[in-house]
Amino acid sequence: MSENKATATTQADLTKVKPYGDTLNDGKVEMAFTLPVPYGEEAEECAKQYVKKLGFEEPNVTYYHELAPGYTFFVVYGSAQQTIDYTAIKVPKVEGTVMDRVECGEWIGENVGRDITVVGASIESDAHTVGIDAIIQMKGFHGHFGLERFKHVVPYNMGSQVPCEELIAKAKEVNADAILVSQTVTQKDIHIMNLTKMVELVEAEGLRDKIILTCGGPRISHELAQELGYDAGFGPGKYAEHVMSYIMQEVVKRGWQDKPLIADR
Amino acid sequence: MGLLKDLSQKYRSLSIVGMAKNAGKTTALNFLIEEAMDEGITLGVTSTGRDGETQDLVTGTEKPRVYLDRGSLVTVPSQLYELADAGLEILERTKYSTAIGELLICRVEDAGYVQVAGPVIAAETRRLCQDMFRYGVDLVLIDGAIDRKSVANPETSDAIILSTGAVLSRSLRNVVEETAHVVELYQLAEFKEDQKISDFLKEDDFEHITVFNGEGEARVLDLITGLGASGEINDAIKEDTKYIFIPGAMTNSVVSGISVNNLKQVEFILKDPTKIFISNIDWGRLRKKGLRIKVMKNIEIAAITVNPWSPKGYSFDSDLLISAMKEVLTDIPVIDVRR
Repeated sequence: MSENKATATTQADLTKVKPYGDTLNDGKVEMAFTLPVPYGEEAEECAKQYVKKLGFEEPNVTYYHELAPGYTFFVVYGSAQQTIDYTAIKVPKVEGTVMDRVECGEWIGENVGRDITVVGASIESDAHTVGIDAIIQMKGFHGHFGLERFKHVVPYNMGSQVPCEELIAKAKEVNADAILVSQTVTQKDIHIMNLTKMVELVEAEGLRDKIILTCGGPRISHELAQELGYDAGFGPGKYAEHVMSYIMQEVVKRGWQDKPLIADR
Repeated sequence: MGLLKDLSQKYRSLSIVGMAKNAGKTTALNFLIEEAMDEGITLGVTSTGRDGETQDLVTGTEKPRVYLDRGSLVTVPSQLYELADAGLEILERTKYSTAIGELLICRVEDAGYVQVAGPVIAAETRRLCQDMFRYGVDLVLIDGAIDRKSVANPETSDAIILSTGAVLSRSLRNVVEETAHVVELYQLAEFKEDQKISDFLKEDDFEHITVFNGEGEARVLDLITGLGASGEINDAIKEDTKYIFIPGAMTNSVVSGISVNNLKQVEFILKDPTKIFISNIDWGRLRKKGLRIKVMKNIEIAAITVNPWSPKGYSFDSDLLISAMKEVLTDIPVIDVRR
C-alpha cells in the first residue's frame, strides 16, 4: 500500500470541533421544525433557504408533510460550518469533593455531629415527581440510593405540585438545613418562572442566608441555578450523593454544626 | 438630559429592577453609565448575579455588554477578570463568592467592556455597596438578575429604576396594567399611625407575626410563618385588633382564610413592598373585600425605562407605549432607553 495522503483529516482537532455525520468534520446536522406556510414545493424551497440562512451548507429536505392547513413540518439535513474551541470551555461546577452514600453518612457523623434535615418538592405547576424521587426516595435512581437511605440525613419528600409557600412553611417547621427544588417541565421557560418565584419568597421570608437553597432537573445547570439566585444546581447525571456531598460540606463551611434551629443561624 | 445628575443628588445607590427578563435592564444600565460619563459622575457598578455576558444564559438572546469609563468601580468574579476588555486594577478581594470565583472590587484604569457579577444574596449586596462607598464613588448602580424583584428591597438601595417592556405581554394594555400594579405596590403608604408600634417593630430583626390593638399593645403569635397560616391568623383577630404585622412574605395563602369582616377590621403592616406576592387580579379582588396594607418602608421609583421590543418576536409602537405609560404613571419619568 502506498502512502495514503488523499484522506487528510483523520483526527479530530479539539480546538475546532464540528458535528460528525458519516465522516469526521463533515458537519452534518439533522433539524426538525415547522414553518407557517402551506404544504407544497414552495414550502420545501422555503425550508431549504431558511436552513441555508442559518449558516448550513447543502441543505437537504429529507421529509416534509402538512401538519394542518397552512403549516408544514420538515426534517432537513445540512452541513454546519461553525466550529467550537473545546479546549477553551469552562463550566462552573458545584465545589467540594463527592463522596458515596456510606462515606456521606460517616462524614456527617464525624464533621457535623447531628442529623442534616432537607426538604424537597417538585414545585408549583410541575406534576412530575421523577426528579425529586430520584434524589430523596429510598430506591433512588439508576443504582444510586436516595437520601432516605443515608445515615444522619432526615429527608422530607413533599411530592409534586407543591406551592412554594407550603415548601417554605415545611422547611421552617422542621428547621431544614437545605431545600431541594425539582423542576422537570420546561416549556415556555415555566421552570425559570417557578424557580424565580421560589427564591423571591425565600428572600422575602428572611430565610435566604439561613438555608441552603438548591434546585435540580433535566434542564438545570449549576450556572443557571446561580444566575437565578440558588446556591447550587444539579442537572442530568447527578444523584443523591452529589446533592448530599454538597449540602453537608456547605453546612460545615457555614458553621451550622451547632445550629440545627433556623432561628440561631 | 441631566437625568443622572438629578438622581445622584437625590440618591446614593440605585437598583435596576426588571419587571421580566429581557425588559431592557442592561440597556438601561448602559444608558445610565453613558449619562454618568457625560456628567462626570464616578460610578460603582455591581449586579445580583452575573451580567454583561454577550449571550443571555436563560433565553440565549444577545445581551449588551457593560462599557465602563476610567475611574469607575466594578465588581468582577476572579474567573471573569481575565475576560474583561477593560484594564482593571484590583482594589480588594472580597469574601463573597459566586459560581465563577470570588468577587473582586476593581477600579477601571482603561475604559472598556466588562462582565459584571455580584453576590446572589441581598444581604451581601448591601455590604458590598458600603465597601464601594469607602472607595469614594458618587453613585452605585446595582443590576438585578432575571426578574429578581427582591433587589428592589429598600435596604439594598435608596431607589430603583424599574425596567419594563413588551416582553411582559402581547397586549399593550396588560404591559401597562402589570407595570402600574408593581408601581402601586412599591409606592404603598408607609405606616405612621402609631409611633409606639413603629418603635416596637424597629427593634433589631423583629421577625414574629404580631397583632396590635388600638392602644398599640402587642400580642406575638406563636407562628413560625404566615405562609398557609391564614386560618390561625383569622382566629387571632379579636374585637379590638387593629393591626397585624407580617415579617415575611405576603401571599394569597396568608389572607385567603381571613373572614371578610376581619379583613375589613384590620390593617396589615409589612416590612416593605417586595414582601407582596399577590397578582394584579387577586390584588384588585382582595382590595374590594377590604384588604389594607401599609409598609414600614416603601420603595422610591426614580424612573421607569421602557423597551417596546420583545425577543419573543413582536413589538409595540414606542410612542404609543410610552404615552400609555405616562397616562397611568403621572409623577415618574418614563424613558425609552433604546432611542
